Amino acid sequence: MKAFLKKIFFTISLFVLAITSQAQQPEQFLKASGSPANPKVPVSWNRYNDYAAITEICKKLAKAYPDLVKLESMGKSHLGKEMWVMTISDFKKGDPGRKPAMYIDGNIHSNEIQGSEFALYTAWYLAESFADTKHIQNLLEDKTFYIAPTINPDARDNFIHKANNANSPRSGMIPVDNDRDGEINEDGFDDLDGDGHIVFMRRKNPNGRLKPDPEDPRRMISVSVDQQGEYELLGYEGIDNDGDGDVNEDGEGFYDPNRDWAWNWQPNYIQSGAYKYPFSLPENRSISEFVMKHPNIAAGQSYHNNGGMILRGPGALEDLNTYNAQDVQVYDALGKKGEELIPGYKYLVVYKDLYSVFGGELDWFYGGRGIYTFSNELWTQFLLYNKPADRNSQSEQYSFDRNLLFNDAFVNWKAFKHPQYGDIEIGGFKKSFGRLHPGFLLESDAHRNMAFTLYHAYHTPKLSVEEISEKDLGAGLKEVTAVIANKRLMPTHSSQDLKYKIEVPDLVSLKGAKVIAGMIVSNRDLNIAMEQKNDPENIKVPNIPGNGTVTVRWIIQNGEKYQVNVDSKKGGIASRTK
Amino acid sequence: MNKIYKTSVFLWGIFLFFGELYAQDYSNNSQVSERINSLIKTYPSLVNAKSLAKTIGGKDIWMLSIGSGKIEQKPAIAIVGGVEGSHLLGTELALGFAEKILKDSSQDSIRNILEKNTFYVFPNMSPDATEQYFAQIRYARSGNAKATDDDRDGKINEDGFDDLNKDGKISWIRIEDPTGKYRINPEEPRSMILADPAKGESGKYLLFSEGLDNDKDGNYNEDAEGGVHFNKNMSYDYPNFVPGSGEHMVSEIENRTLLDNLFEMFNIHSVITFGPYNNLSVPATFNQQAVSKRIITGYFEADAKANTLVSELYNKTLGLKDAPKNVSEGGDFAQWAYFHYGRNSFSTPGWWVPKAKADTVKKVKELKIEDPTANYLRWADSQGLTNNFTEWKKIEHPDFPGQVVELGGVDPFVLKNPPFKLVADLVKKHSDFIIALSKHTPSIDIINIKKEKLGNNLSRVTISIINKGNLATHTKVGERSYWVKKLSVKLIPDLNQTLISGRKNQTIDAIQGQGNQSISWLIKGSGKLTINTGSPMSGTKTVEVSL
Repeated sequence: MKAFLKKIFFTISLFVLAITSQAQQPEQFLKASGSPANPKVPVSWNRYNDYAAITEICKKLAKAYPDLVKLESMGKSHLGKEMWVMTISDFKKGDPGRKPAMYIDGNIHSNEIQGSEFALYTAWYLAESFADTKHIQNLLEDKTFYIAPTINPDARDNFIHKANNANSPRSGMIPVDNDRDGEINEDGFDDLDGDGHIVFMRRKNPNGRLKPDPEDPRRMISVSVDQQGEYELLGYEGIDNDGDGDVNEDGEGFYDPNRDWAWNWQPNYIQSGAYKYPFSLPENRSISEFVMKHPNIAAGQSYHNNGGMILRGPGALEDLNTYNAQDVQVYDALGKKGEELIPGYKYLVVYKDLYSVFGGELDWFYGGRGIYTFSNELWTQFLLYNKPADRNSQSEQYSFDRNLLFNDAFVNWKAFKHPQYGDIEIGGFKKSFGRLHPGFLLESDAHRNMAFTLYHAYHTPKLSVEEISEKDLGAGLKEVTAVIANKRLMPTHSSQDLKYKIEVPDLVSLKGAKVIAGMIVSNRDLNIAMEQKNDPENIKVPNIPGNGTVTVRWIIQNGEKYQVNVDSKKGGIASRTK
Repeated sequence: MNKIYKTSVFLWGIFLFFGELYAQDYSNNSQVSERINSLIKTYPSLVNAKSLAKTIGGKDIWMLSIGSGKIEQKPAIAIVGGVEGSHLLGTELALGFAEKILKDSSQDSIRNILEKNTFYVFPNMSPDATEQYFAQIRYARSGNAKATDDDRDGKINEDGFDDLNKDGKISWIRIEDPTGKYRINPEEPRSMILADPAKGESGKYLLFSEGLDNDKDGNYNEDAEGGVHFNKNMSYDYPNFVPGSGEHMVSEIENRTLLDNLFEMFNIHSVITFGPYNNLSVPATFNQQAVSKRIITGYFEADAKANTLVSELYNKTLGLKDAPKNVSEGGDFAQWAYFHYGRNSFSTPGWWVPKAKADTVKKVKELKIEDPTANYLRWADSQGLTNNFTEWKKIEHPDFPGQVVELGGVDPFVLKNPPFKLVADLVKKHSDFIIALSKHTPSIDIINIKKEKLGNNLSRVTISIINKGNLATHTKVGERSYWVKKLSVKLIPDLNQTLISGRKNQTIDAIQGQGNQSISWLIKGSGKLTINTGSPMSGTKTVEVSL
């Protein structure tokens, strides 16, 4: 009996071993260029993860790469879920809190879920490529990434697990009385046929102005002015639950988490979607606190969908003056690169190319913290056939579904007896289509957007003490001149940062010798300098420009061996010993 | 047991009696808490107190709810004090109102008001700052206990005030220096004023608040203890990155906790603020342009009218004259209450220094130079007030070796807070004003119920909804905000009735003071139906109609 058990146990072990080893035999693969061939944490990048799945991937990454990935929670969501954020850097080389950092999040709008997969892919890629990719090693030596895959975990799960359409919910899950009648969430969508999808209702009507498209009868098209139609559309699946004559007017939410940020915030009667006050949503409040605690964040990316846009602020026309020419230059350089790396995506400005809006996340990141920030609107119809969508783009969606997805994206019209509308039909695209990537396009677009975001991170400041030279002034005095270089595109302080002194100046210090005087040199050749009378050991430099230098000078006494240190909140630290 | 209880009540009574008689000064934080505790012990059925949060300084933010019955279902007025930490009077007026209305609650007229209205009193929104008045070193402080880098130099609270002459208060230092921009006010030599080069005047003095340049940056006391100002941290017209405004709008515990609560209190129709903003002496005026922009910066016409009505009521009740010109400060609470909370907002400092008069007998001439300090000193003299000024006296100051430095000047607090002996009367008058205002509360009724038989069991029912109050059922600005509930109208038919026309549930826009709106339905069938209307701000009314 015992022997028998042992035998079974042995066989099972062998079996398990066989499976694992089969999955992990590197010699069985040819590494496709640029992709981790044999990851420690295998993840399928052709599907969407709920909160539990995201949590699991984050935990596995932190466990598999303790020297690269640390997982913590920024706080709790309204429904008590953790606001996960991964810190990714080469922990063996320098303090991650002192390296220039890139903050990435996704899914601020509940229905825009692929931002989480894109953010997760970035974390996974950095960790899994570190061992064999020199560029990633250098990047993680210099930089830190803070990656928060979903900043709206409550409503993400609602979108995934409850009956929804591609646009619902955009809000978080705090109940709101949208129609102001004193009842809360009393008239939302109704999954009439119980199939888990909220799709459209149509009704046969000889006076309707629609008819089925002869190309694809699933699609409703308008008839021309001189024709009789066959159908009318009655909106998304639902009934008038509260008897006020409106259908689906008070469902989940509604507020917009991306109208809750503390730069030029406006109340909901001016900016639809605003909640009580900036950061009155617990999810955003914990992010704001995290950002304030990490002054090394110099760059930001918040993934949305959709439309193939690389967006920068200002969000509101009223904020136009916030962005001056110098900063626009930095944004333009990054944004143009983005257009090159992600075909079909356009670099645009929110207030003029999209809509003028107050209280957006990227506005607070830039306006309130001086952080160069983009919001990429993921997914574009360009990706359907790798060409700009034609004007009849809806018909392309139907043909794409027919030819490439084999009708998986559509719920076919079927008859239903509606309590208020009578005989109707229910049908339409599922929530997973239209704004979200089809599975086979997800990884490729995630990779391209990641490449842009890594480029963005690469161009946060990289400081060095490039030169220290001495001149003997006699009588035991020496003039020490140090050149501090920034080898990347971004300055240590954006112009918005300088305007409001958001972050403290950079400090260039001389340690190990007695400092008699200190100054910032504005023209070394002509010997023009501005003295700092108070505390000359620590010269306060307002800014170290992108791909530029700052020259400082001290007069020291009896100094043989000393050190020059640079300390910049957003630019990191550097030092050199003489 | 019973005896002990009686004795303690008796002793408590004596304490209260003497407390009232001998209150000589403004209340510190623990005295405010004691006064609140005594109210809830004395009037348990009419008031309850809740600490909404503790500040970083460990002090309670109190909310008193005053009323009888289901208070959250009655139209309410919120009364907020201490929005400006150095304005001690604000707390006295707010808490004083609570004490007054409760003390008078045995009177029929007051009991009647408490049956129809709810009052929420927030005595002090800046308890961390207020406490500086009672501290070892007294100075006018607006900021809470948050550690802030006011001069944004990377160091926190590194250059505060220094009590150089150890008299327990922060006065002024003046330094004879040709680069100075100040001169002695020729009409009132105790006061320093700015020289006006355009008038050929030249300055002779540097003037700073009492202290040292601790961090040697050339500025005096620019980064003192004291963080974010409650009245600079609100979301309307918020000043970004100025000392005292915080790192972003509504960043502080005090502001957040108040707003978290106010936004869930749908019955508040009016907010009364005791603070620097003054739209009670002179009301806001209507300006079409200011409400035509995306971000409105002025009052809507109907709301400006309501402001005028209430301002007249205030001036009549208070009899105060010569109010200083109203200055709107960004990030303040009173403007927030209108523009972002969408409620009627009425605000007053409650007191200001009266205009000093010429006195021919004492050979005191009229002051021609506009100088609030000089005006105060003259007025204080005429009232026989003392202990409000430090004579200028030479000191040695390490930052100005070899220069003539004098310490002196007007005391902190006295320009914005009346001598305490005036407070009782101000409390009484402001309480009278709030009680008078509560009589204008929006109040809904259903009148003119009309039933018309159209034959074959079909009837038309028409009602008029009337607002019997003088204030609108909600403001014009509130009409746009989903934090303001509309008037809802519900018709509940009998089982054998069918609604042919009209909505079962609907919401309607604001009904102005003394205004009305009529609604009708077509109903088939007979029996009783119920019509129900109202909103948290204007009360509810239900009628039954038999068909």
